[in-house]
Amino acid sequence: MIEVDSLSRSYGTRKALDSISFQVPSGSVTGFLGPNGAGKTTTLRVLTSWLLPDPGTLRVTVDGIDLLRQPQRACRRVGALLEMLPLPGELRVIEFLSARARLKGVPAAKLLSEVQRVLEEVDASEASRRIIDTLSQGYRQRIGLADALLGDPPVLLLDEPTRGLDPRQISLFRGLIDRLRGHHTIVLSSHVLGEVEQICDRVCMISAGKVCLDEDRKAWTQRLESAGTIRVELAETHPDVESQLSSIEGVREVRSDGAGWIVSADRDVCHLIGDLARQQNWVLSQLRTDPATLESLFLQLTGPGEAS
Amino acid sequence: MMRVVILARRELLSLFVSPVAWTITFVFLLVMGVTFHLSLLSVDGDLKQLVAATYSGLVFWFMMLMLPPLISMRSVAEEKRSGSLEMLITTGISDTQVVVGKWLSTWCFFLFLWVCLLPLWSLLTTVGQVDGGVLMSAHLGVALIGAGFCASGILASTLTSHPLASAGLATAINLVLFLVHWLSFLYQPGDLQLRWVEHFSAVHHIRDELTRGIVDLRVIIWWSSFTFLMLFIATKVLERRRW
Repeated sequence: MIEVDSLSRSYGTRKALDSISFQVPSGSVTGFLGPNGAGKTTTLRVLTSWLLPDPGTLRVTVDGIDLLRQPQRACRRVGALLEMLPLPGELRVIEFLSARARLKGVPAAKLLSEVQRVLEEVDASEASRRIIDTLSQGYRQRIGLADALLGDPPVLLLDEPTRGLDPRQISLFRGLIDRLRGHHTIVLSSHVLGEVEQICDRVCMISAGKVCLDEDRKAWTQRLESAGTIRVELAETHPDVESQLSSIEGVREVRSDGAGWIVSADRDVCHLIGDLARQQNWVLSQLRTDPATLESLFLQLTGPGEAS
Repeated sequence: MMRVVILARRELLSLFVSPVAWTITFVFLLVMGVTFHLSLLSVDGDLKQLVAATYSGLVFWFMMLMLPPLISMRSVAEEKRSGSLEMLITTGISDTQVVVGKWLSTWCFFLFLWVCLLPLWSLLTTVGQVDGGVLMSAHLGVALIGAGFCASGILASTLTSHPLASAGLATAINLVLFLVHWLSFLYQPGDLQLRWVEHFSAVHHIRDELTRGIVDLRVIIWWSSFTFLMLFIATKVLERRRW
């Protein structure tokens, strides 16, 4: 479990994180989202002890260990896959992973079996004797993932884990996350929102250093359902369509895009629109529900022009 | 301590699988071999003077001043630049362990170079009149001063992300400890100020003491303290990134 309470972090006078609080329950997979410059990497860097939080931060614990008091001990409970993955190109994969395993405290007697285990987990066993400089981006990413899994840490922080992977490898990665789910607390930072929607149990979204959404799958699914729109197109032109659609109970907003109308409602009003069409003798050429996506929610919550 | 040794081993492995280590070793042995030969000619058969003649010349000092910065310049600077230092820290290793591990690998490689010369010295000690005690004290000096110069190299490497800038800075620190000796020309024998210069002068320690078989505890304490101080500052510099 990860608990963050009032975490702040500044770079000089710029506040990268402004008293953010969130929890990642044990065994869950949490998507950590936000535009570039929102503070995702800073948060992950605090969780790996690379950066210290500002004074005033109340609590940061990783797997029950207070990161502010015992940073090294807490760090050993974390396996991290960094966004920028600097691997030593001159070493063989097995040499690199063996050295990393020793640094992470894997006993010498279990070293080879542990390295083989993580390589099998990420489907990269055949690359164990290859020199890292000769590996493709996909392989490098998998070696980084294998490194994060070394020592079986209870917490995994994965920053853009599927970058450079082909569709087959992405599918394998999803399978891997499914296997790890329940045994590991996983934080997955990604810009691929479809992937987050498929994999994650929770979503934590930050924007401009503040948490703007922290919900489990049930809550965010409900939010997406209520944020969906209905598209209405008529075969002939009729006057006053917009005001009649607006009069339906539950409809929040109706706007026209020239070819038709987009109806936003608090609940499913498709059947009410159908009833209205029958009463008014409208011939519907299209009546379609467009569900909201995590992407539309992301754009709505993080606002325009956030990137920096 | 275990993590320090593991990190040092990994660093040495990275060094020896690249051509850099072998190139430095080749050039070092070539230059020192020639120096050795010229020293043999210059002592004119008096092999008791050979250690002092070899380990006091400009070539020796060039090696002492330049090798540690060249070996250590990439150790932290390159890792900072590429981001692999962050990856290293995620293993739960402390900043102190990183600094000591990097220094240990640099110092071990530096010692390896001088150990490569030992077969030559062993041969001469066996068949000639080279004093084994003097040879040992001279190499103790190389190890002590080398430890200090490697530590200043690590400090310079933590201060910048550019390996060449790191090498330049470390050479400048080492040059201060080398050039301080020339201040002694300002004083007469017996002046108290001269004693002050002698306490810090790497040249004085090697030329006037260790290559003559004199092992002064103060010399050991000074170079050990200098090494510790450099590594302590390097650790603090590395910790600064967290704030």
